[in-house]
Amino acid sequence: MAPVISINGFSYRYPDGTDGLYDISLDIAGGEKIALIGPNGSGKSTLLLAMGAFLHGHGSIVVDGVEANKKNAKQIRRAVGSVLQNPDEQLFMPTLLEDVAFGPLNMGLGDEEVLRRSMDALGIVGLDGMKHKAPHHLSAGQKRSAAIATILSMNPKIITMDEPDTSLDPRNRNNLTSLLKSLKQTLIIATCNIPFAAALCKRAVLIDSGKIIADGPVEEIITDEKLMQSHGLETAAIPESIDF
Amino acid sequence: MHHTVMDHLSMQDTFLHRLDARSKLIAVVVFTIVVISLRRTGVGIIAVSAVGPFAMLLVGRVPLKLAALQIGCLCPFIMIIAISSAFYDRSVVTIAFGAYELNTTQGAIGAVAIFARFAVTMMAIIALSATTRLSDLLAAFSSLGLPKILVMQIGLLYRYIFLIIDRACHMLGARAGRKLRYLGLRRELSTSAAMIASLFATSTQTAQRVSDAMMARGFDGTIRSLKKSTFSIADTVFLAAVCAYMALLLAVKGVI
Ligand SMILES: Nc1ncnc2c1ncn2[C@@H]1O[C@H](COP(=O)(O)OP(=O)(O)O)[C@@H](O)[C@H]1O
Ligand SMILES: [Mg+2]
Repeated sequence: MAPVISINGFSYRYPDGTDGLYDISLDIAGGEKIALIGPNGSGKSTLLLAMGAFLHGHGSIVVDGVEANKKNAKQIRRAVGSVLQNPDEQLFMPTLLEDVAFGPLNMGLGDEEVLRRSMDALGIVGLDGMKHKAPHHLSAGQKRSAAIATILSMNPKIITMDEPDTSLDPRNRNNLTSLLKSLKQTLIIATCNIPFAAALCKRAVLIDSGKIIADGPVEEIITDEKLMQSHGLETAAIPESIDF
Repeated sequence: MHHTVMDHLSMQDTFLHRLDARSKLIAVVVFTIVVISLRRTGVGIIAVSAVGPFAMLLVGRVPLKLAALQIGCLCPFIMIIAISSAFYDRSVVTIAFGAYELNTTQGAIGAVAIFARFAVTMMAIIALSATTRLSDLLAAFSSLGLPKILVMQIGLLYRYIFLIIDRACHMLGARAGRKLRYLGLRRELSTSAAMIASLFATSTQTAQRVSDAMMARGFDGTIRSLKKSTFSIADTVFLAAVCAYMALLLAVKGVI
């Protein structure tokens, strides 16, 4: 199967001179669920932003056959839905329904289709009963689900999520895990929570200091004590179920 | 706190809530213009003009205590304008209440009138915002010709002003936790300045990320809205009533 995302020798330096990413090469197949793990400041968010064509560096990123440059940004963002780290910044419309409808409306779909997709997306994350609530009145777990719904309603091929497990209690994290497991899209999830990564993904990519350190089956990487500890991460057993 | 209450109120279901946001917006704008154009000293007429917004508050089931509280919060600002008017015009006027006579100045009456007029228009605005969901109000602004980008700004401001307030509260909390005594005016001022600067920096970063989030969902500068608002018979009735009321106000303004 041809990769849906193909990154080749990609490097990015922030305007202030900080090295964000260095010589990243990575192929991701359609339908894969990948955990992007690494300590704080390792470059996870930067890589996700690059995949969404929010920043442009050297080397190439090809998404769904399209080069991720400035010119193609709009097209890239139809293929890649980016769930950003802080839901408070992702939800900006007065009501939940309008927020979820924001993307599909911008895609130029008709009202009926927009409404159908929005209600479907809210249904998937279990928030259809709250469509008229203001997003900033939701709980932390609900905000996270809402942020995911705003991307699901656009039905992108690929979804990236930046630390979606932060500020969730164990029950909400379990709910999120089952929700994400049920999605058919290609998922790229940045996280420092190793059990969460293990419960969700088959493949893990470990990055540190903007470089790929390891790439392989999740159980091999997260049980490698020496590797994990030298990059400031904990090891974890592979969970039998998603209860952790 | 305040926005939560207003949000809840605006979700109620009353005659006023069901009206099209545009009718209510037009009514409040026209009412405000008429009230402002009333003669400066018309204290009596202002009492008559209070009837309309008062009725709106009642029909829209807005707690009167809340409305009074909100008007009260803004009072200090209006008081300054009103008091300056009291000093401005000191010609003596005599008001007769039956057998009682009261000597006062033209300016004092003016001050009371300014104050009352402010309270009356505030009542109307509170009635509007407590009976209309913000999204509908924004849609009404834009369908009445306010530039879309301005409407978006109002909406966004409303949206992330709370993020910023929240952050300010956290910072104040963190500061109170570390600071054990008054540090002297100079140090106090300089730490306050540093806090404001950092608040500003985080706000612009927030704005950048909110804008990223919007771009991620295909935003290109035009707001597209799901709901097409509809004008009903109730709106016609409401607007007719508003017109009649305005006509009444303008007719009696020379009399009282
Ligand atoms: N806007 C920015 N300007 C300058 N440097 C940044 C910016 N954002 C992130 N960085 C730096 O880039 C590196 C990678 O950051 P990031 O991708 O956010 O890491 P992670 O998401 O893995 O915690 C860090 O050294 C960080 O300090
Ligand atoms: Mg990050």
